Amino acid sequence: MPIPLSRQKALREWRLYFFIIPALVLVATFSYFPAASAIYHSFFDWQGGDNKQFVAWANFQRALGDTVLWDSFKTVSVLIVFNLFKMMPSILMAVLIHRLKSDRAQYLYRVLLVVPMIVPSLVTLFIWKFFFDPNLGVLNNVLDFTGLKSLLVSLDQFFGWGVFFANVPIGWLSQPELILPSLFIWGFPWIGTVGVLIYLAGLQSIGQEVYEAAELDGVGPFKKFLYIELPLILTQVRLSLILLIIGTLQGYGLQLLLLGDSGGPGGRGMVPGLWMYNRAFIAGEFGYACAVGMILFVFILCLTYVNNKYVRVEK
Amino acid sequence: MSGALKDSVGSHKQKDWPKHLIILAFIFIELFPFYMMMQVSFKDNASFIQNPWAPSAPFSVTETYSTSAGGTLEKTRSAKWTEVFSGGVTPPAGDPTFQSGSLRFDLGVYKLTNWGFGLKLIGPYIANTVFVAVTGTVASLCLSILGAYFFARYKMPFSGVLWGAFMLLMLLPGVANIVPLFTLLKELSLLNTLWALIIVGIAGGQVFNLFVLRNFIEDLPKDLFEAAEMDGASHFKQIINVVIPMSGPIIGTLAILSFLGKWNDFLLPLIVLRDKELFTLGVGLIYLDGEYIKQWGQIMAAYFIASIPLIIIFLFCMRLFVRGLSAGAVKG
Repeated sequence: MPIPLSRQKALREWRLYFFIIPALVLVATFSYFPAASAIYHSFFDWQGGDNKQFVAWANFQRALGDTVLWDSFKTVSVLIVFNLFKMMPSILMAVLIHRLKSDRAQYLYRVLLVVPMIVPSLVTLFIWKFFFDPNLGVLNNVLDFTGLKSLLVSLDQFFGWGVFFANVPIGWLSQPELILPSLFIWGFPWIGTVGVLIYLAGLQSIGQEVYEAAELDGVGPFKKFLYIELPLILTQVRLSLILLIIGTLQGYGLQLLLLGDSGGPGGRGMVPGLWMYNRAFIAGEFGYACAVGMILFVFILCLTYVNNKYVRVEK
Repeated sequence: MSGALKDSVGSHKQKDWPKHLIILAFIFIELFPFYMMMQVSFKDNASFIQNPWAPSAPFSVTETYSTSAGGTLEKTRSAKWTEVFSGGVTPPAGDPTFQSGSLRFDLGVYKLTNWGFGLKLIGPYIANTVFVAVTGTVASLCLSILGAYFFARYKMPFSGVLWGAFMLLMLLPGVANIVPLFTLLKELSLLNTLWALIIVGIAGGQVFNLFVLRNFIEDLPKDLFEAAEMDGASHFKQIINVVIPMSGPIIGTLAILSFLGKWNDFLLPLIVLRDKELFTLGVGLIYLDGEYIKQWGQIMAAYFIASIPLIIIFLFCMRLFVRGLSAGAVKG
């Protein structure tokens, strides 16, 4: 704990304030000021220039009736559900690595897991985009090679989706119906390096006695996971759950790069953040974009509140 | 945690190999994109379409075709693996003009020119990004160390309020900020400069760095500071001689996290930068992706070159990397 100071001593140490001023000034200018400015400008009709007109709640009223915005919230909730599902492989991976007997192998796998992190995330993104390419892409090639394509085609005929056809390459990112499935497949097998590493850290706190006791009781591997391992990493799981929900809610970089600034064909990949970006930098409606940002902000703030209230992180 | 203790985790009755198998399968798929990046970076489009999966064989095939004018035309292509194993050339199906083909050992099928081209394509962007990331990381950490010292050393008047002001930022999602930030940068005439990225990066990294460093400096033994003060060391000297030597690993971890963040950033550069000479890696890669006719080999080589700086860092500080990533997860 920092040492409390008497007023005289504090006065004598006034130079210490110089230590905090640079950081404070920067943060005030580049974090607080824009935030305040966003709140202020959400009440204006503003094109980004000097001219602006006070319109009170008109921007928010428009947002309430904006079908694109509400559809984008629907899309983002689907993406959140996808991402919840995508958490599972990381947990499985962590448990598997943790249960290995050899320390060496554990370390080796850990290093191998970190390797994807040394490739810039944009590069990974573009390689995946290349995988989705209808003609050259790996995904279509794999589907053809394994015969899954014909399965998809017959399923299509059965259900009448009108999406998959026998001799036409599948346009993963160009067919409106396939946008969400593509975003689901994106990043297969969905191993998050950071996730696995924090789960492993949590698992390591399990004592050997617990396992021995379980062994004596004849507990199987699945029950062991359910009653020993899962409860112990629940803190980490909950933490990454919340981070993931917030991250998905405010993220739009993936959609911007994969589908373009209007959310791909039919706007199926439109998420709230992307809509804000689109309104500001494509349509030039800065005031309305600020209002959309504020709505998003309120959602995230609520989630952060829930996070702080119900999810405790032990230091 | 001792090795003996970890050893006995899990069942003694169960065999390990099924677990190894599953883990390896996962890791194989996980690393598959990077395998593709590596092998495609040595191919040109023709040999990529002919053989998308495996690396090229170090042989080339020279095929002779007869032309309608009565002469012959020679074409060279990289060999298929089946041709290498059978030792003969498979004639192209249904092409009557094909006369003969010969197979020979040729390292020229590996298009090293892709790499030269990729470097030329992406080298300037990398230089810009290194400049932004290094300057930003160093400046950001210097400010954070000073700030964290302020909070950790004494309980000064107002320090509680100031701390609250910083921590409140953890709750503010950055997403709503980007539009006003753009106009702010425009007014400061920082648009289309690398300094905009650096300064915004410094401001953005403060909260997390302060949070981690304050906790760390508070845990340093107080006697060290008192001894330094007895010797007449100023606060600045105390930072240089006590704080920095004692918190080397944590500073390293924070530096790596910050560097990674800046290396991967593309949204702000995309909005801020206009001139091609100023592009950072993020924007550069986006523009590369927008090219109409794509030479996949060159693009993949460029991608690989973009990863090299991170690979170098990774090789030298793997431990910090692994630890830093676990710490970064708690960041929020």
